[in-house]
Amino acid sequence: MIMKPNFERLKKAFSHEEPDRLPLAEALVAYEIQSQFLGKTVTDSDVKSQVEFWGQAGYDFIPITVGMMSPGEITKESSIFGVVQKVLKKDKDTEEVVPWDIEEKGVISNPEEYERFPWDEAARLNFNKFYEVQPFLPKGMKIIACSGKIFTLAWMLMGFQNFCLSLYLQEELIASVFQKVGEIQIQGAQQLLKIPNIGGLWVVDDLSYGSGPMVDPKFLRKYVFPWYEELASICNQRGLIFLLHSDGNIWPMMDDFISIGFDAIHPIDPTCMDINEVKEKVGKKLGILGNIHTDLLATGTPEEVCELTKKRIREIGPGGGYALGSGNSVPNWAQFENYQAMRETVLKYGSYPIKV
Amino acid sequence: MTNEEIKHFYEVLRATDLKKIETLVKAYIEKKVPPIIILNEGLIGGMGIIGQEFKASKIWVPEVLLAARNMHRGIEILKPELLKEKVPSKGRFVIGTVKGDIHDIGKNLVTMMMTGAGYHVIDLGIDVPKERFLETIGKERPDIVGLSALLTTTMLEMKEVVRIIRETFSEPPKIIVGGAPVTQKFSEEIEADGYGEDAVRAVELADQLLMSKGRI
Repeated sequence: MIMKPNFERLKKAFSHEEPDRLPLAEALVAYEIQSQFLGKTVTDSDVKSQVEFWGQAGYDFIPITVGMMSPGEITKESSIFGVVQKVLKKDKDTEEVVPWDIEEKGVISNPEEYERFPWDEAARLNFNKFYEVQPFLPKGMKIIACSGKIFTLAWMLMGFQNFCLSLYLQEELIASVFQKVGEIQIQGAQQLLKIPNIGGLWVVDDLSYGSGPMVDPKFLRKYVFPWYEELASICNQRGLIFLLHSDGNIWPMMDDFISIGFDAIHPIDPTCMDINEVKEKVGKKLGILGNIHTDLLATGTPEEVCELTKKRIREIGPGGGYALGSGNSVPNWAQFENYQAMRETVLKYGSYPIKV
Repeated sequence: MTNEEIKHFYEVLRATDLKKIETLVKAYIEKKVPPIIILNEGLIGGMGIIGQEFKASKIWVPEVLLAARNMHRGIEILKPELLKEKVPSKGRFVIGTVKGDIHDIGKNLVTMMMTGAGYHVIDLGIDVPKERFLETIGKERPDIVGLSALLTTTMLEMKEVVRIIRETFSEPPKIIVGGAPVTQKFSEEIEADGYGEDAVRAVELADQLLMSKGRI
């Protein structure tokens, strides 16, 4: 089957209309999976092959990170990784990677460390990939820029335990860190306005556990959501679609997401959220992406994946407002056959009007 | 202690000023209130209210961490009095993140809550091989072992750890499991004794398991 990317498909879906077929969407597909799909090795620097994958696999866009940190775990590819290593190695004579203690103290645990942190260096974002990809983009395919994290990066820089206690004991430090992180990420998004073929902005920022928000939503409303509003405004200037990824139970912030102006939310974490309930309660105001459990992609069978995918197409697809994908990302430990089953089921049964 | 007194402990545990818990615990020591009462009814009673608020999503992890920090300070002040009276811990609890997994924020929260609940906690840290669990169980004879994992891939290691503990010890400790990808169903599949959805439920589960052993 020859795939023809068509970004209008995604735009139509998130305008709550029915396009020609249900779109596929992912923020992250591991290079190992991309390599298996194409039958050749795909690496982070091989932009041409990455475009080939996203196009041939049935997606209408290629996700590219802008900002300090890529979706997924902290990786050497993330620009913040190198900055943090410099800070951690300051008094050490070593070539080895120094562990970044994101769970307890991070690298900014007090005002002095905040002042010493090389913010200027952290702000030097790399947009090369957005330009490298341009010659390879087929007609109809756009780029969705995955915005570097704001909430996540703030707490990772401070260490989660230190961050949590600082909300009450060092709130000025919290405010300062969010201000810097937010400014850098906004600067990154503003640069996008100068780059051709950008179709959307995807905020990737885990705000919740399975049980609910990681912190009192009042702190998110004070320190995080104003930045999201600014990103929404940037998207409106260019007619970009505006998406949010957050794992966990995000119900307590759902009204906030609607008023901020997100077009759709991902992945409706299947471990703790009911996608049917989301569709019923907010489906006319907010689009939905994702939801096929990553665990199923890892440990299930292709038949199980196919059945669940058909169920989602049947129950969530009608009326538009839905793009199907994983319940988080497609990691390298997902079974390739299961990923294929999900993808191929959408291509086979996802045409509108839905008849599965 | 009266309900008002327990509520006062709760309010002080929620405070940002460490001096408040220090002052409160010292005041009760000076009033000659038995240290076991200060611990069980005051500190643990107050933390119990906090635990229920967390379960009901009225407060979140930062508020629990703040209270745990205050609890820790309260226990530090009380410890010499507890040692004088040779107050035993409620039970011995070994916890670790299974091999291959370095995530430990959940484990740290469980450690703090279990300590606050009166358990003697031996925290093995992160990326713990099964051999170390076995060695520690042999040496410390805990009542309960807690296994934590955050990645789906390391859940399989959890299964192996449960298996080998049961195979090695004729009277194995109770085993509870937790972590983001872990579910009740998974815990039953690997024949753990229980699944702790979060730190508060882990403490409740531990108490229930000790009760079933006739220990409390």
